Amino acid sequence: MTCPELLRMSAFLDGELEGAAATEAERHLTTCAECQGFAAAAAEIGDALRAPDARHTAPSLLRARVHKALDKEEGRPRSGFWTGMASGAGISAVAASLLAGLFLPPAAVGLSESVTRAHVRALSDGPRIEVASSSHHTVKPWFAGRAPLAPPVGDFSAQGFPLIGGRMDKVAGRPAAVVVYGHGLHEIDLFVWEDRGGDLPPPGDKRGYHETFWRRGDLAFAAVSDVDSAELARFVDLVKAQKE
Amino acid sequence: MTNRRAFEVLAMPHLDAAYNLARWLSRSPADAEDIVQEAMLRAYRAFDGARPETVKPWLMAIVRNCFRDHLGRAARVQPVPDAVLAEHHYEGPDPEMEAACSSDRRRLDELLARLPEDYRAVLVLREMEDMSYREIAQAAGIPIGTVMSRLARARALLKDHWPKDDWEAGR
Repeated sequence: MTCPELLRMSAFLDGELEGAAATEAERHLTTCAECQGFAAAAAEIGDALRAPDARHTAPSLLRARVHKALDKEEGRPRSGFWTGMASGAGISAVAASLLAGLFLPPAAVGLSESVTRAHVRALSDGPRIEVASSSHHTVKPWFAGRAPLAPPVGDFSAQGFPLIGGRMDKVAGRPAAVVVYGHGLHEIDLFVWEDRGGDLPPPGDKRGYHETFWRRGDLAFAAVSDVDSAELARFVDLVKAQKE
Repeated sequence: MTNRRAFEVLAMPHLDAAYNLARWLSRSPADAEDIVQEAMLRAYRAFDGARPETVKPWLMAIVRNCFRDHLGRAARVQPVPDAVLAEHHYEGPDPEMEAACSSDRRRLDELLARLPEDYRAVLVLREMEDMSYREIAQAAGIPIGTVMSRLARARALLKDHWPKDDWEAGR
């Protein structure tokens, strides 16, 4: 480097100079052959470094290794949700959709997505249960001061679905009471919210979780779980058959 | 958001950038993987939901630190006897990759390899990661003025070794 302006020229080419300094550098470039040569070289180097094959991308095995290390660090087994993220190239897409989900208004997400997301969120980082009790005499009154509705809370332990507790959550932006039941090692979230009309999604699967929606009176319901769909249907029948 | 989820959303998208930097610094795929894994783990331990725009420079700084540590460790490691090495399967350069790898790419590798490591790092962050001087300053732990001078020197050095036909005969 011999021209004393080369340093500033480099910054100018990077768009890091402003105002008078930029104007000066631009003027200098029109008259200095050395800086012109430098600018041409810098452009060539930049093109070469920005060529698509110049940038290395993380191998998918590394991605998986990192996820595994983080899981270990986190000190708990990975939930199904993260397993998808570890599967290689999907990472950016999943992260992007996660971001979109965090910043989009809930209504835009859709009821089905909203319910599964709330369920997964509760399973992975809680609070899963804000009132823990196997007695509907405890769980039902707990909702009274918190939810704008009184969700039906039943005792289906004889049928294999013991009551675990409840929490407040949101479905598509609206407050929802969630009554949590167990089934073996699985959990079933029963979302209950004020029905404002509109179509309810058909029963279906989302990322390995089964969902069933229905309405009754002025309440809308969604049961979500990773139990098998026949068991979930049996649970839904029990809830539907429950007396008011 | 839990810390883990925040990390997945804010830091993991920079995994490629971390690997790219580690790869250009270490010039070895295996070392780069070790460096990145260590860096991501350290980052996760220290992560406290930083502001999104500061995550990338911060992560790049950790990658550089891990690279430095890795260098130190490598220097201390006892040489492995040839007999032991022979038992390990060495995959060598993938012939398909070799073929796809243009001679331009190899030339670029060689040119960059000749640059001092500090220059290589700022150049990679600037040109491949499109980071601003301010971000590079954070990543490299140096003042912005030093970023400016390192970039200028890196370019001047590369210019002197760059195959002339690329921009003189060609124009």
